[in-house]
Amino acid sequence: MSFIPGLGIAKGMALTLRRFFEPKVTIKYPEERYEVAPKFRGRLQLLYDEWGTLKCETCFQCAQACPIECIDMGGVDTRGRYHVHWGPPEQYGERREESALRRSGRPVPDPAFLPFQPIDLAEVDAVLDEYDHDPNRMLDILEGTQGAYGYLPVAALKRISHATGAWYATIYGTASFYGHLRFEPPTATDQAAAVARHRPAESSYLAALDAALVGNGHPGAQTQARA
Amino acid sequence: MTVISRGWDRLTLSGKVIFTLVPLLLALTVGLVAAIAVLGGPLLDVLAANLPIVRFAVAATAILLMTIPTAFLIIYMEMKVIAQMNLRIGPDRVGPFGSLLSVVHGLKVLMKEDFTPTGADSTVFTWAPVVVYLASVMTLLVIPFAPGLYGQDLNIGLLYFFAMAGLGVVGLLMGGWSSYNKYSLLGGLRAAAQVVSYEIPLTLSVVGLILLAGTMSLNQIVLNQAGWFTDWYVFQQPLGALIFFIAATAEANRTPFDLTEADSEIVAGFATEYSGMRFGFFFFAEYVNVFIMSALTVTLFFGGWNAPFAWPFETGLTIDPGSLGIGLILLIAIVPVILTLAFAAPFWIASSRIKGWQALIIGFVLTNLFIVGLLGAWAYVELDWVAGILWFMLKTYVFVFTFVWMRGTLPRVRIDQLMDFAWKWLLPAALLNLFVTAGAIVVLNAIDRVPT
Repeated sequence: MSFIPGLGIAKGMALTLRRFFEPKVTIKYPEERYEVAPKFRGRLQLLYDEWGTLKCETCFQCAQACPIECIDMGGVDTRGRYHVHWGPPEQYGERREESALRRSGRPVPDPAFLPFQPIDLAEVDAVLDEYDHDPNRMLDILEGTQGAYGYLPVAALKRISHATGAWYATIYGTASFYGHLRFEPPTATDQAAAVARHRPAESSYLAALDAALVGNGHPGAQTQARA
Repeated sequence: MTVISRGWDRLTLSGKVIFTLVPLLLALTVGLVAAIAVLGGPLLDVLAANLPIVRFAVAATAILLMTIPTAFLIIYMEMKVIAQMNLRIGPDRVGPFGSLLSVVHGLKVLMKEDFTPTGADSTVFTWAPVVVYLASVMTLLVIPFAPGLYGQDLNIGLLYFFAMAGLGVVGLLMGGWSSYNKYSLLGGLRAAAQVVSYEIPLTLSVVGLILLAGTMSLNQIVLNQAGWFTDWYVFQQPLGALIFFIAATAEANRTPFDLTEADSEIVAGFATEYSGMRFGFFFFAEYVNVFIMSALTVTLFFGGWNAPFAWPFETGLTIDPGSLGIGLILLIAIVPVILTLAFAAPFWIASSRIKGWQALIIGFVLTNLFIVGLLGAWAYVELDWVAGILWFMLKTYVFVFTFVWMRGTLPRVRIDQLMDFAWKWLLPAALLNLFVTAGAIVVLNAIDRVPT
């Protein structure tokens, strides 16, 4: 190391002597507490066990403690008996794993659009050429694409994003803002409209439900009858 | 009878203890006073006739008693200092700043089971720690703590010291051999090999100093170094001092040469089979050894109890309190009151938040501190043994701190490195130091400038 014998020892001794006078890091816990920001909750992270399933037991303590209520979750209790939830009902249940993944900052695989249909991209390219690959004329491009395909396929949107340089999310936002742009073929839209037409209106559905419940000895109905 | 027994039954445990002890102590005190009154004169005559023996007995007792608080202090210092070097706080629960933790350690060791392995040679097993401890303690007998404050001023003090230090090896071997355990035996042999190996450079490094001093009496060696700190032998024997310190580290089984009883390892070398207070004696002996090696380093190379500077003026201060007569009583009665009021006044005036009685308490405490400080200063100036023991302890604990500091820094060496270092480096260096010193003395004698 060096040609002076004992220099390393002297350096080490100097280091320990410096440490001797430095402020100490020990916190005498019950008497002293470490200063923590009042909203600090530690790092949000979910861990996997050795079988690859989430270690989260759905105890909701994190959701309960979350100061800005950004945690929503739901799932089956640890014995697999009840369906329990925390947060708005449209977000619980089977979305537990996906929600957990999202909160922990992991990429969420979305089966809805990842394997998209391959299409013939020549028509999109023609539209793009027509509008000079200009992201500022996005509405024209999207309308042209819908004119060519009848709807906006995911593959076409990706192509547009790639060619114009606009973010896919921006394009998706633009496309979903306008009512006349659609992401499914017109047949799908027609089918949904047909189903909705055959479904009973909500008011009539609720009235039928009330009648059924009163008929079966609904407790609220009984008290009303007594009064 | 029934009244007494009923009263006795109603006492609590502490009450019973007090009611037993107080009359007992009273009776003993009365008996002692009576015995002194009756036998005191002849007894004093006998003691005066055998003054050296009395002196030896008193010194041995005092030194034996001194080792225990010393060991406690060094153990506490080690825990605290190493903790600070690790950026920890260290002991802080028992006593002020945790200073009683080593006492608690001692009590713990006392309460543990005193175990003797089956097949052990129980006599030797029991005596081994005693030998080790006594070997340490007896070396203290020749160390001069202050002018006139030493056990015995042997004219072969240094030789006696090394002889006694060498006796410790016997204790280590006894402990290792009698444990009926192969590992203990190996540990004992290793410890003996280490101590014996390092004894040679340790002794040889001092021979040059003996040539310079012309005496082996430690008291005389200290007296030779009187004056300014430049008169200390470390400036004439720097290599000797270095070798002595390194070898002393190994002799005291301290890091980096502490493989004989490496505390951080599970198996404790020759002390593997020891438990309870017998282990405690080994443990104490180690820390007493630290003190002794520091004290000897100070005595030999760093001027002993000499202050690092010569006191520049002579104080002709003599106070005879008896000459004041009745005024002394008045002085004792009045001065503390006046001082208390004088110290309390500024606090009372300075802040309206400090109440009168608080200011008085502050004044009382400050008065006490002031008087104690005054007395201390007077004692330092007037009594040379107070000044001597102050400087001696200060220097010694600087070296104790260095030992602890080294333990906080250096890693442990291997056994072969240990032996290599002793025989291939320290021994030649010590011989070189000896020959150079001897040559220098011869040359200086030849040109008729005799040192010392």
